[in-house]
Amino acid sequence: MSIRAARTEVASRALLGEGVETLHPSSIDEMAETLADATAKKRHTLIWGGGTHQGIGYRVDPDLVICTDRLVQVIDWEPDDLTVVVESGVKIADLEALLATRGQTAVLPEDPGGGTVGGMMAAGVSGFRRARYGPTRDRILEVQVVTGDGRIVKGGGRVVKNVTGYDLPRVVVGSFGSLGVIVSCCLKLWPTPRSTATLTIEPGRLVDVHRPLAVLSDRSTTKIYLGGTEAEVSNQVTRLGGETQKKLVWPAVPHRAWAFSLRVPPQTAAGLIAGMPADADFIHQVGIGEITIAAPSSDGMAMLRSKAEAVGGALIVTRAADDGFDPWGTPPPTLDLQRKLIAAFDPQRVINPGRLPGRI
Amino acid sequence: MYDELVAALDAERVLQTPLALHVYGRDAGVYRGQPTVVVLPETTAEVVRVVEIANRHEVPVVARGAGTGLAAGAVATEGGIVLVTTKMNRIEEIDPDNRTALVGPGVINLDLSKAAEPYALHFAPDPSSQAACTIGGNVANNSGGPHCLAEGSTVNHVLALEVVLADGSVAMVGSAAPDPIGLDLRGLLVGSEGTLAIVTKILVRLLPNPPDVRTLLCSFDSIADAAATVSGIIAAGIVPAALEMMDQAITRAVENWLHAGLPTDATAILLAEVVGDTAAVEAEAKVMAEVAHAHHARDVRMAADDSERALLWKGRKAAFGAVAQAAPNYYLHDTVVPRTRLVETMAKVYEIGARHELQMLNVFHAGDGNLHPLMVFDASIPGMTEKVQQAADELVAACVAVGGVLSGEHGIGREKRDLMPLMFSATDLDAQARIKETFDPHNRFNPGKVLPTGARCFDLGASVPPGAWV
Repeated sequence: MSIRAARTEVASRALLGEGVETLHPSSIDEMAETLADATAKKRHTLIWGGGTHQGIGYRVDPDLVICTDRLVQVIDWEPDDLTVVVESGVKIADLEALLATRGQTAVLPEDPGGGTVGGMMAAGVSGFRRARYGPTRDRILEVQVVTGDGRIVKGGGRVVKNVTGYDLPRVVVGSFGSLGVIVSCCLKLWPTPRSTATLTIEPGRLVDVHRPLAVLSDRSTTKIYLGGTEAEVSNQVTRLGGETQKKLVWPAVPHRAWAFSLRVPPQTAAGLIAGMPADADFIHQVGIGEITIAAPSSDGMAMLRSKAEAVGGALIVTRAADDGFDPWGTPPPTLDLQRKLIAAFDPQRVINPGRLPGRI
Repeated sequence: MYDELVAALDAERVLQTPLALHVYGRDAGVYRGQPTVVVLPETTAEVVRVVEIANRHEVPVVARGAGTGLAAGAVATEGGIVLVTTKMNRIEEIDPDNRTALVGPGVINLDLSKAAEPYALHFAPDPSSQAACTIGGNVANNSGGPHCLAEGSTVNHVLALEVVLADGSVAMVGSAAPDPIGLDLRGLLVGSEGTLAIVTKILVRLLPNPPDVRTLLCSFDSIADAAATVSGIIAAGIVPAALEMMDQAITRAVENWLHAGLPTDATAILLAEVVGDTAAVEAEAKVMAEVAHAHHARDVRMAADDSERALLWKGRKAAFGAVAQAAPNYYLHDTVVPRTRLVETMAKVYEIGARHELQMLNVFHAGDGNLHPLMVFDASIPGMTEKVQQAADELVAACVAVGGVLSGEHGIGREKRDLMPLMFSATDLDAQARIKETFDPHNRFNPGKVLPTGARCFDLGASVPPGAWV
């Protein structure tokens, strides 16, 4: 089995059988020792959380896999502060279940599979509710990383508002470990809305709704997700009409050979969707400009990518059946600066080397 | 260098008179700098030329907006060129469909919201200085304001930046599209206090104006009850748009001046605002009033209309202006503590004030635990400034001790630079210094700010003359 195949599924155990050494540090200090050693030996290292986003980026052929599956402590949860500090290997589903016991949420992705908090941060993905609560990077308050050369570095703080030094937590989100393996983070929490509803309306109908949790469209329907007080939700339901379910019914992203994330300025999304291959399924986050696509092949995606890039957006591969289609597209213009910044944290470039845009 | 700058800009926009050097040599805080020259570029190309000249002459470049900061982030403490952005004040485009605006760094915060008003949009960060401060300054300090409790600070509202880098090249970071690929340099640049690059254009996100609003004024006989109400509201599952506290000393100062109708006999008042759907704000206002009463509020009043609401907010936002009556000098701090530690921290704040025999006034963003203890004093009394500084350092240490941070929205600047080790290890600071070094290898941009000297294995900045505190 190739590494690529292993990466697309939750299969870290399978890697063990393939002759790639796999380590499971049980503490932050152990993680630091492991990476210092990896740097000393210049070992190409793949970091593994839940394996749910391993399909993103250029292929890493690792000499070593480091799993975060033993970094699973909830370090501190202050419900009245609306903050939680967790180790990065904590599963998203487990954390949300815990927070739900006090009516709170970290607004992590709605269908995380076996995903971990650290993996989601490293991959920079946000759930559907970003329309209301903002993207993941707006909700990470503090981060602790272990750099490629084994330094334990903290940035940010455990309060909801902070400008004390450079915003390391924010730049770590979406960095795919290039600035260090995320070992713990402090997240901002929100009270779970008391009342929720999902409205299904005909696609393309324009509605005026104030700060919904999400508006999602596919080929046949548009769904509006509402959350708030009882009166607020029932008023909006009455005003908007449409078929109503009194809970949040999130769509499942179809599982196909290829998956993509199309990210464009919100008002350009409709035009781009019109040019999507007919055999591709999608979920469009209306007003956000993120479109999740599942397709049997990468046919037609190069055209879609060039249109997206022309308006300042991107089309990235999140699951690939083969290496025939570039995973990122045109790299950002600040590539040289990004490369230097990564070198400051990972001088031997041992963590996920070459995985990022521009193969850095 | 002067002649080169005049050739690059024009004589009117290159200032070297003693008055100009004095005026642009300070911010609203206590530090004074000694700029060599002040320039007011109008375009990105002019900023590039200034940076190139600074590189040739090996002098610092300190970017500055309106100078409303208090932490000396825009003060040329090590001399060099002060680059004032106030002439880069064009709102280039408001795009109501994508809810974005492209602005120059010198655009005044409130002017943007006014320009967006016809589209029923606004720029969410609303520092109390919003009638004067610039969006470039907001970006530099990741500014907040009362309404960032629900909507987040400046960084949550900046989509992209055009910047001039230390080598004089121009780069665009970020995009109107969500989650640009690669490292989020935009997120790193916001709040970097002009130490990494000079921002020349800003693409911001605008928010729709809320359909309805309710503003409550709650008065209390104790700070503890007011603080407990803050925690109670959060615990009740409400995230208000704003949750602001004022103590009696500041309330009296404001009332003397503005007559905003604030109760001067209350020990503490809480200004709480919820926005959104009418049904939602009505329900939430009711719950907030109940929580306040449960914590012994002596009075809970709802603003009857927009004009009463505007007056209450004027009282809050003008609070610092009112302080001038109390004493000739004031020193304002900016720290954040976890909301659950507010009561004990406030007790500590008053204790520190009493011990140093300093009058301590408090008006702050209680909802996010962002304290602004304000000491009023007369700097002409010998030994007074030293006493104030001592008390200020104790305040910061007390906040960090309960899990707080050095700054919530004003930045580190020069003022809190040397307090950074309270929060960060040598390894943490070394990592920060590596970021600085990557962007600005010759330490050209705003040297001597944010990071303590010696943060890196070698010294980044020259030393600051002793006694700069005046």
